Amino acid sequence: MNRLAARRRARQSGDDSVLPLINVVFLLLIFFMLAGRLASGDPFEIAPPKSLTDGDPRAQEMLVLLSGDGRIAVDGEVVEREALAGVLKTASAAQVRLKADGGVNAVEVVALMELLRDAGVESLDLLTLPAAR
Amino acid sequence: MSAETTSLSARTDRRRALISLTPLIDVVFILLVFFMLASSFLDWRAIDLSPPVKAGGGAPLEGSLLIDIRVDTLGLAGEVMNLEALAARVGGLTAGKPDRPVILRPAADVSLQRTVEVLDRLKATGVTGMSLIRGRDSL
Repeated sequence: MNRLAARRRARQSGDDSVLPLINVVFLLLIFFMLAGRLASGDPFEIAPPKSLTDGDPRAQEMLVLLSGDGRIAVDGEVVEREALAGVLKTASAAQVRLKADGGVNAVEVVALMELLRDAGVESLDLLTLPAAR
Repeated sequence: MSAETTSLSARTDRRRALISLTPLIDVVFILLVFFMLASSFLDWRAIDLSPPVKAGGGAPLEGSLLIDIRVDTLGLAGEVMNLEALAARVGGLTAGKPDRPVILRPAADVSLQRTVEVLDRLKATGVTGMSLIRGRDSL
């Protein structure tokens, strides 16, 4: 009888000690829900250029990626260079975000910008990451 | 009095039996892991650029500044200078005319990182209308 009561008390106290754990987990959950942004993964790794600028990227119609080895993706889908002009024409976006690798030749980026201009793009945002201080 | 307390404890017992804690913790943990893996904390910044002007497109480029970017030097109107001198010069030339177009022409072997450094410095001096072009030799 005495042992039974002790066991019940133990179980109850175990139940109670779970509650702080749940509190912490809920707090973490709410933190990650509010602080993080759900990001769609890029089809390839990109090391964007570091900059000191503080401009916020605007919400724009199309995201174009240029990787260090010259591969191009439009809105998360890898596009061959020959097919690029057609894809850009059909998308017909006026504002574009351009995420290019920091080590790529600037001339290649300009060539890509010229393609975008020919497809009717009027303004573009070059995405960077803040430099570590 | 004692009847009241027993009915109260019975009610709490029933509630505890209704919502068992373990499945709740399971679900919350799954949600937590999902948000930890799916969220990104990368702090993206943007440099606003105009698309490159068309060569021979007839757009008037009068009054625009052309800056040559080479691997270790910069050039403005044929004059070779470093980044600080260039920023001061461009800041003086665009003072009062913030929308004066500034065109940057990276040489063939200049990385994007170097170009972004120049763009950064010019943006800090208050230049707004920046665009990139490429030289005729790098076509």
